[in-house]
Amino acid sequence: MKIKITLSILFVFCQITIAQQIQKDSKDSIETNELSEVKVTTATRTERVISSLPLPMTIITAETIIKSGVTRLNEILNEQTGIILIPDESGFEGIQIQGMDAAYTMILIDGLPLVGRSSGVLDLSRISVGNIERIEIVKGASSALYGSEAMGGVINVITKRPKKDMLAGGLSYRYATFNTSDANANLLWKKKKFAANLFANYYSTDGFDLNESSVLKNVEGYYNTTIQPKLYYDFSENLKLIVSNRFFNQKADNAAVIGSEIYSGEAKENEWNSQIKLEHKWTPKVYSEYEFYATNYKNDSFLNDQSDVRYEDTYYDQWLFRPEVRTTVSINKDKLTAGVGLNYESLDRTYFKDNVKFNSQYVFVQYDYNPTEKWNILAGFRYDSHSVYASQLSPKLAVNYKINNNLSLKSSVGYGYKAPDFRQLYFDFTNPSVGYTILGYNVAEARLDQFEEQGQLLSRVAGINFDKPLKAESSINFNFGTYYKRNKLRMDINAFYNSISNLIDTQVVAQKTNGQNIFSYSNFDKIFTYGIEYNSTYSFTKEFSLSLGYQYLIAKNKDVVDNFEDYQYVRNSELQTFKISKSDYFGIYNRSKHTANIKVLYSIPNIKTDINLRVFYKSKYGMFDTNGNSILDKYDKFVNDYFLTNLSISKTVADKLMLQAGTNNLFDYTDPGQIPSLAGRQFFARIQYNF
Amino acid sequence: MKTKFLKLSLLALFIFTASCSSDDKDNAIPEVVTTKVSDLYAPQTGGDRGTAASGEFTKFSFSENKIVTTDKWDIAFRGTAIIVNGGAKIGITDEPERTGTGAVSIVSGTFAGVTTFPAVATFAQDGVSTYAFPTSGDNRWYDYDSNTHIISAKAGKVFVVRTHDGKYAKFEILSYYKGAPATPDPLVGFRYFTFNFAYQANSTTTF
Repeated sequence: MKIKITLSILFVFCQITIAQQIQKDSKDSIETNELSEVKVTTATRTERVISSLPLPMTIITAETIIKSGVTRLNEILNEQTGIILIPDESGFEGIQIQGMDAAYTMILIDGLPLVGRSSGVLDLSRISVGNIERIEIVKGASSALYGSEAMGGVINVITKRPKKDMLAGGLSYRYATFNTSDANANLLWKKKKFAANLFANYYSTDGFDLNESSVLKNVEGYYNTTIQPKLYYDFSENLKLIVSNRFFNQKADNAAVIGSEIYSGEAKENEWNSQIKLEHKWTPKVYSEYEFYATNYKNDSFLNDQSDVRYEDTYYDQWLFRPEVRTTVSINKDKLTAGVGLNYESLDRTYFKDNVKFNSQYVFVQYDYNPTEKWNILAGFRYDSHSVYASQLSPKLAVNYKINNNLSLKSSVGYGYKAPDFRQLYFDFTNPSVGYTILGYNVAEARLDQFEEQGQLLSRVAGINFDKPLKAESSINFNFGTYYKRNKLRMDINAFYNSISNLIDTQVVAQKTNGQNIFSYSNFDKIFTYGIEYNSTYSFTKEFSLSLGYQYLIAKNKDVVDNFEDYQYVRNSELQTFKISKSDYFGIYNRSKHTANIKVLYSIPNIKTDINLRVFYKSKYGMFDTNGNSILDKYDKFVNDYFLTNLSISKTVADKLMLQAGTNNLFDYTDPGQIPSLAGRQFFARIQYNF
Repeated sequence: MKTKFLKLSLLALFIFTASCSSDDKDNAIPEVVTTKVSDLYAPQTGGDRGTAASGEFTKFSFSENKIVTTDKWDIAFRGTAIIVNGGAKIGITDEPERTGTGAVSIVSGTFAGVTTFPAVATFAQDGVSTYAFPTSGDNRWYDYDSNTHIISAKAGKVFVVRTHDGKYAKFEILSYYKGAPATPDPLVGFRYFTFNFAYQANSTTTF
């Protein structure tokens, strides 16, 4: 461990000294400088230059997305340092930031949240990347601006918007292994007061199967379409209207093996997002946005048995309405932002007795303070008042200190929370084959009484009651880092610490007469995560640049660390019990200690070709306890560490036409037993026409 | 190196046995021996799809080291449920009458490490709506992983049982699956208990 730290510090010093020696052409470092001067909006909800931002932030530009050749949001996010795509128990892939699970990251499109999380995870492959201008990722607790779910961070997908009079567009088609097709059509138009951005995408795939002999595929086939029309009307320079809609439809094959029977069917997803926004500049110093957002996510799926008799029918229908008003006032060099809004959310699904509704109101305030050239201080808080769970106050403080033109230090502390979701409060499900029951916290008391009347209840676990409302999961997050840019080198390092309490998990609340248990939810654990994230990009020449990324992460359960005597016995391969020590505790499941990436971008201007090579490393991680102490220790069975290599080559032909070909997972690494979602080598070819 | 050790141990053994006088032959204390019971089948009828579990419990006697059908049983298994021959009926379908003074105390540790009997107050018997072998919580004998669907015997849980006739035995469950594989298939060969036990036939209070 100490060796690793000294090595990495040495490495950092080497990079800085190399940069010092090659002092010459600052002109050559166009890309590094430009990137740091990009204006971002997600971190503060106002426009800020990324280099002076006191929060850890990553941006992914449209150019990076095109050069990588990927088509869906989960694919491009997976390639970033510190963002790890992991499947949860149900097999849905979600993103992990700073060691926090997928349910704790908020996903926004143009600043507005997506709904429709099956057990907390939002399926990111729902979002096509064909229309993206930029992706902004803020890491760390951001509930001070965004409220619930922004505990691990916020990912904002910003779509293209025409800025000046233009007519431009693009058509692209990409074909890849597993009969995967992706077709895009995009039109950007602006003339005087009117503007429009029309986008359509069609994606289909056969899925893949790593094990020919098993009945089920690893990923079943599906197809989807996305249509996104956005219209803009400028009443004047000071008053602009945006009407934006997004429609998404997906049909997927659904298959399951229950007991020894094979069931097959379909799963349909329908989603639409609708936004009406007015951008109003009262005076050069006062700017407001008035916004109304509505979204609906529906999922219907069924399974039939081999003789086509309906076995199971499930549905999920979630609505969110959100009006919000935000105003920013510029006072000298500082900015004061305030906003107020309300959320109206309803969910109707199978395993819920009734259609449930949530109501909440919120207000947030932020002060962006620049006392001197060198200091920037961001202070803010948000207050959420909710109809069902306790109100939340989420404060945040962040500081950026510019040591000189090349180096700045930043630090932040913030509070994040995640409200108990619909499922944890209202679920009512009995497993048909095994017989256990899961009850949401708010319905548990009444249902337990019901079970008792029906004579199905054997006993209740002592000491459990549902008198006090279920608390929200909360976290305190610290970040400390540096941002360095000079000529050809750009580097940022961020150390983070998260302390999360009141994690909601299931526990047994009663026993049934059939020998099975009744579970409900409760606030439990305390977990902590800490680590360090390193990113650097070095542009050797205008044609050749190299990026390195690395994250070190430790995520542990505090209750386990404090009460290790309860977990200190494990079984060896002969099933004999032996004692282990506290230092043998590895940490929480599904988290790798080391993840790294190397990205090489090489351009050959005379033949207008770009070569983009990315190599990713993920160190070993554990999925389950395998030796009898219900925690992950170093004697358990781990998923092996591995490298993945993606390569894409693009060539521009005749100015408007681009051809691209490449391979994902070049060396065909698979681990069918442990990583069922990792497909083998895939080839792709794409043609894009821009006008 | 190896032969030296062998010679030394042979010497030690010789000295040890030579030093045993005829006294020992008269007061022979049977050593507490660890016995392994493999694949004790504990079938259960129903218990899923909302029906109550039913069927005969598989009764076991430590002193006889076998499945018994008489009243002289110490513990009995059915599916994941374990009951002790002491106390009163719990109130579940098809459970046998309690014919003894059995009880169980749950100790954390390695099997060999549990050498003294736990305090009398820690022993529990079955009672109305109460299992002496808890079916939930820290002292339940197994963990169920809802992802792999495997029932794994918790490591470090040793059950000290007061038998139906007041003697003591300790046992540790190793596996719930036939053949006690290291990585069981949750759908194959379940309800087959493999466990180690040691029976103290005397009235001493140690194992």
